[in-house]
Amino acid sequence: MRRSSRRRRLLTGLILLAALIVFLFPVVWMILTSFKSNSEFFAYPPVFVPKSFALTNYVNAMRMPPDGRGGFQGVRDSLIVSIGSMAASVLLGAPAAYSFARYRTGGENLSFWVLSTRMFPPVASALPLFLVFKALHLLDTHLALIIANTIFNLPFVIWLLKGFFEDLPVELEEAAVIDGTTIFGAFRRVALPLVTPGLVATALFSFIFTWNEFMFALLFTRSDVRTLTIIVPSLVGGHEILWGQVASVGVVAIIPNVLLALLLQRFLVRGLTLGAVKG
Amino acid sequence: MASRLDEELVAERPRVETARRPRLAPLLMALPAVVTLAAITLFPLLYTLRLTVVSWELTTGFPPQFIGVQNFVRVLTLDPRFWNAMMNTGVLVLVGVGLQALIGTGLALELNRLTRSRVWVLSLLLTPVMIAPVIAGFQFRMILNDQYGPLNYLFDAATHGHFHGFAWLADPHAALWAVMATDVWQWTPFMTLITLAGLQSMSGELLEAAEVDGATGPQILWRVTLPLLLPVIIIGILVRFMDTFKLFDIVYQLTGGGPGSVTETIAYYTYLQGFKFFSLGYTAAMSVIQLIVITIVAQVFLRYQKRTRGGATA
Repeated sequence: MRRSSRRRRLLTGLILLAALIVFLFPVVWMILTSFKSNSEFFAYPPVFVPKSFALTNYVNAMRMPPDGRGGFQGVRDSLIVSIGSMAASVLLGAPAAYSFARYRTGGENLSFWVLSTRMFPPVASALPLFLVFKALHLLDTHLALIIANTIFNLPFVIWLLKGFFEDLPVELEEAAVIDGTTIFGAFRRVALPLVTPGLVATALFSFIFTWNEFMFALLFTRSDVRTLTIIVPSLVGGHEILWGQVASVGVVAIIPNVLLALLLQRFLVRGLTLGAVKG
Repeated sequence: MASRLDEELVAERPRVETARRPRLAPLLMALPAVVTLAAITLFPLLYTLRLTVVSWELTTGFPPQFIGVQNFVRVLTLDPRFWNAMMNTGVLVLVGVGLQALIGTGLALELNRLTRSRVWVLSLLLTPVMIAPVIAGFQFRMILNDQYGPLNYLFDAATHGHFHGFAWLADPHAALWAVMATDVWQWTPFMTLITLAGLQSMSGELLEAAEVDGATGPQILWRVTLPLLLPVIIIGILVRFMDTFKLFDIVYQLTGGGPGSVTETIAYYTYLQGFKFFSLGYTAAMSVIQLIVITIVAQVFLRYQKRTRGGATA
């Protein structure tokens, strides 16, 4: 490779520095705002760095109404729904992915049908699901959101894990089967342990997708269940917006995303393109 | 990050060979997932199809009435608001995703010049990709705040007061661009991520050969690097197309479709018809139209993915 000139390297540095500022500023601004008092938010010229970094906004935002903004309920409900849908998708999806990868069960059409369900516009399935959940008295429950999110997580899990299983050499499973293990045994005791990193990554991706999901949470819940993605916009809608407190709920809402982004780094390319590009 | 395109997964995929080839176990392993998926997707689909032929306005209290294809006729020929939403979605997809591909690829080419710091810069850049679109919308709502937002302050300082109080989200000409800016902000790093992966999987030999043959920097970029990157960029654009076509969260949080209906996307307008105006048959007809569009794009994506898996690229 040619050595780039000093001037070219300086240009690269400047471009990337500008990019970092643009792509990080909104997040940094939310974090700064989460520590601001109301008078600091409503100031002009804007206050960039708040005077104190006290956790008052966080404490108030986490408490239940009428004193607080109910952020704690958001954390609880987001966790329940995200973990529930992740568990359901992995438990159902892993054996299916193995079956598709090794035995081409149902042929290419079946696995493509599975993938195509992920591409459904959620708004198209929202109305019928709403009517079903209403009939079954499931509106405003965690279960409704777990079921609805599984529509999108299950195909994702199957498709991504299928790729991971296909990457494994087949000889070990063959040996196990020849030694008298059942096919399910070869899956559970040989293949599954070998794809553990991919399995964990896939599960965490589906956790994040549900954690970020908004439309179903908006339509299928009211008061008993309120995920973090519902609480933030609902607090921006009113007359008196307590920006500092809303921002602190926002910061809490992105903590898992930032942590998991670091954990998932190796798998990001694959996960975000449904395995179409492998990083 | 060691990366490669998935070219080696060529047509012949390994399968576990056994003496008797039992077919039952693999079937049983796939069954629970397939049945679950069928139950939660086929029912909504069939029910939606049935709804498209009725007029069912929950607000009037009348029972559903069979009206044939009139819902589709109304959507496609008599509803300017539907076409407005389609146009907005089209602009977001064409201009927005186009910008993401352009800026994203540009940044990837710059990142590719870095050595040790590359991983760190990349992971910082990727922050927007992982956070919920609703939260991204909230962040931009603060930044674009007409009175107290930092963006207006910045422009204000630069233009000596001409920007004070400019209401990005209430201005009919600016609001859609604000929505697009949020989406572009969120997903440009995704395009950077995957084009960078494509760049790193490229063999240095080709580039060196071009250099030995006397090609200049721009020539190498346009004749060698970018053509080799194209399959990855196309995959990225297709993924983003399917996502942007469903854009809802950012609109909900940032503008609520307003001012008026200036920033309504097709997903947002469908939501209004279904869950604010309660026109069930009409909503179903719009849903089916979106399903058709998405199915076409998804088919292109799947075909393309299959082709690149065949090993023709990069």
